[in-house]
Amino acid sequence: MSKFWRFCRVGVPGALLAGASTGGAEIRETGVWWLPRNVSHFGHEIDFMIYVILWITGITGILVFSTMIYFIVKYRHRGGVGAIHSHGNNTLEVVWTTIPVFIFLGLAIYGNEMWGRMRMQKAPADALQVAVVGEQFGWNVRYPGPDGKLGKMDSHKIGKDNPFGIDPNDPDGRDDFTTYNDLVFPVNRPVQLHLSSKDVIHAFYVPEFRLYQDMVPGRVYDFVWFKADSVGSFQLACNQLCGQGHYKMFGKLAVVSDSEYEAWAKGKAPAATASLGSSAENVATVNR
Amino acid sequence: MSTATLTHAEAHSHHDHHEASGWKKYLWSLDHKIIGLQYLFGSLAFLFVGGGLALLLRWQLAFPSTQVMPDGNVGNPLSLAFINPQFYNALFTMHATVMVFLVVMPVLVGAFGNYLIPLKIGCGDMAFPLINELSFWVWLASGLIMLAGFFVAGGAAAGGWTSYAPLSSVAAYNGTKIGQTLWAAGIFINGLASIMGAFNYITTIVNMRAPGMGFFRMPLAVWALFITAFLLLLAIPVLSAAGAMLILDLNYGTNFFNPAKGGQPLLWQHLFWFFGHPEVYILILPAMGMVSDILSVNSRKPVFGYRAMVYAMIAIGFLGFIVWGHHMFVSGMSLVLSAAFGVSTMVIAVPSAIKTFNWLGTIWGGSIRFNTAMLNALAFVSMFVIGGFSGIFMASTPVNIFVHHTYFIVAHFHYVLFGGSIFAVFAAIYFWYPKMFGRLLNETLGKIHFALTFVFFNLCFFPMHNVGLGGMMRRIADPTVYEHLRALQPINQFITLSAIALGFSQFVFLYNFFRSLRHGEPAGKNPWEATTLEWTVDSPPGHGNFATTPTVYRGPYDFSVPGHGKDYIMQNEPPEPDYPAGSPARLRPTPAG
Repeated sequence: MSKFWRFCRVGVPGALLAGASTGGAEIRETGVWWLPRNVSHFGHEIDFMIYVILWITGITGILVFSTMIYFIVKYRHRGGVGAIHSHGNNTLEVVWTTIPVFIFLGLAIYGNEMWGRMRMQKAPADALQVAVVGEQFGWNVRYPGPDGKLGKMDSHKIGKDNPFGIDPNDPDGRDDFTTYNDLVFPVNRPVQLHLSSKDVIHAFYVPEFRLYQDMVPGRVYDFVWFKADSVGSFQLACNQLCGQGHYKMFGKLAVVSDSEYEAWAKGKAPAATASLGSSAENVATVNR
Repeated sequence: MSTATLTHAEAHSHHDHHEASGWKKYLWSLDHKIIGLQYLFGSLAFLFVGGGLALLLRWQLAFPSTQVMPDGNVGNPLSLAFINPQFYNALFTMHATVMVFLVVMPVLVGAFGNYLIPLKIGCGDMAFPLINELSFWVWLASGLIMLAGFFVAGGAAAGGWTSYAPLSSVAAYNGTKIGQTLWAAGIFINGLASIMGAFNYITTIVNMRAPGMGFFRMPLAVWALFITAFLLLLAIPVLSAAGAMLILDLNYGTNFFNPAKGGQPLLWQHLFWFFGHPEVYILILPAMGMVSDILSVNSRKPVFGYRAMVYAMIAIGFLGFIVWGHHMFVSGMSLVLSAAFGVSTMVIAVPSAIKTFNWLGTIWGGSIRFNTAMLNALAFVSMFVIGGFSGIFMASTPVNIFVHHTYFIVAHFHYVLFGGSIFAVFAAIYFWYPKMFGRLLNETLGKIHFALTFVFFNLCFFPMHNVGLGGMMRRIADPTVYEHLRALQPINQFITLSAIALGFSQFVFLYNFFRSLRHGEPAGKNPWEATTLEWTVDSPPGHGNFATTPTVYRGPYDFSVPGHGKDYIMQNEPPEPDYPAGSPARLRPTPAG
């Protein structure tokens, strides 16, 4: 009941303010009605594609809606003026079938050319290899040690005590280090991700990278790579419903200069071979 | 000739069984009209259930209750504490499930399909009346089973209406073993009802058309329902199989979808979307068909490009089965396959574009009557266009890498499902209500309802495009825990307030609907001066529909034919001897046969 009275006191404008101030909102730089800032090199192309489609649909929309409004006004029922009798026009049908076919096929070819470069082209050889394995409700992250090589991940070995599916005898994996809900990437250097999941499907989503990828248990995806072209701090969000804690499954994600990255990586101890990595059970970091 | 014989036989057999009296006939009747009304009332009731769930989840998004302050109170003074994250997940899961399986599908296919098909093709009833009535009760049972989830331990299914495995298939992951099982059982049983309806429609349309009612003399509403029935028959069994596998995984130790035991999570997605994409067209094709009829009648013009419209719908029906992968561009399935699905998805936009241009062609040069049915039909066209546009963004594989699972997709499918299908449902109710109940709905209330719905619909759903492009994920119980979303919160609150206004606007419709049952203006046989067969009989039509089987002499849209006194000619009007010689040959009536 008290809730109801509070509602009456505060009223709707108050409610808007109360909600907006929850958690200390910061206004985004690029405005709240449009795309967030973009920091990935593929992101610029994706944004460009969004604008291409926006122009095509925008112009078509203006043509369609102005035609519709014109017809609605011009051909409204008036006394003494009857409708014309027409069953259609085959030439028109051919025209308005052919034009969309070319526009849509053009968009499909253009889009798939980008898709090919973003997804099917291998990551550059110097890419930093990072493994990210989701679990209810957090992110296991594994970085290569000084050798620059990640231990080989085997999806069949992924389990409660081995979030990355690493073979303990694999020399590549000995010097790897792990974090939980904490990602740091060097700026201007390609990063190749190795994505998997311990339990249900999660998704790697960073809007500022224009990047979404499902992480399906039982599989390791290594085709996602990107290059961040400016520094900043962001959040990695899970964007595939993964259970009741889904809404707060996020991690810290920072893009930093090369030297800062090296310093950060140096401060990390190699993953103890016994535990093979961190997991929710042995890490104190808890979301909020 | 066989068609005619069969139809006569059918008509006779139906005259033989008795019409139940009073309220009993609304519980158990073999009359397709009563079954149609059962579906109509049932799905309208579920519309308010689904809408209520939507308002609760919108409230949570605007005033989230997950942040507990140091003093023990939740962060927002307006939040509803009973909406915890798990319940929130159940809310959107059941909102979508109710709206898809218990509202849009049954109202389009069950209510209007049942009511209109026999009346429009000129026969006395469906081919299998008993199965028809059974399908209604099976459907109702499926709805109650799904909603029962709210009252069991663990709560209702909370894995999203898509119920991706292994979240849905492993009890330890979802915590809603019983609710999820009820959901899957409900889906399975719901599928049985759809299948019963679908083969009934196909059999009826193929075998029981009145003499002279060739396929290309069928109104587009019938064509649309005919094609939809095939989609149902081919797509629903796949979902039923998936639902059965989900029940087995959850309860009986199988591991179809559990990778920890050798199963394949992507198998669920392939099965679900192999159903799910044809389903999208199941939810829109009947709407397209009925809107075509309503636009034609109220423009006093034949449908522009009738055959193009039919072919476009057939094309949508075929292509609808090879585009399911566009729901899975970023699921990690074969990347080459994604590219291929990207092409087929762009191609399926073509028939939708063709239909839009033909709708514009239909009102071109017309004499447009702006009654409530027409306003809703025009809203359908314009909202469907916007929904189509946003679809192009997501069909583009690279853009999908960014907008997948954001509010952009939520905006998109509400523009096609609410802006499209629900506006078409309102149009159809305003248009056929006089046939169903013998009285007209009040036009003033109707226009108020239309204006409120149209305005608040757009205020509610358009900004979702923006928050989606802004990076807001769908299916999160509290956007304010994300730094990049906190600034969007005022927009979320605006959306919620618009949604509430949209919800309450529907009570105008409800009042109009029930008030007009008794107080509406008597409709007569043909209040809209339409041409198809349902308008040749009484409102409401008697048991058996037609006193004698009608004979059809012309196409469904003979409006404003030159040289005629009135601007419409009924389909069963015999040819006149002085039919103008100069008219195109295809307009000339041909004898029955």
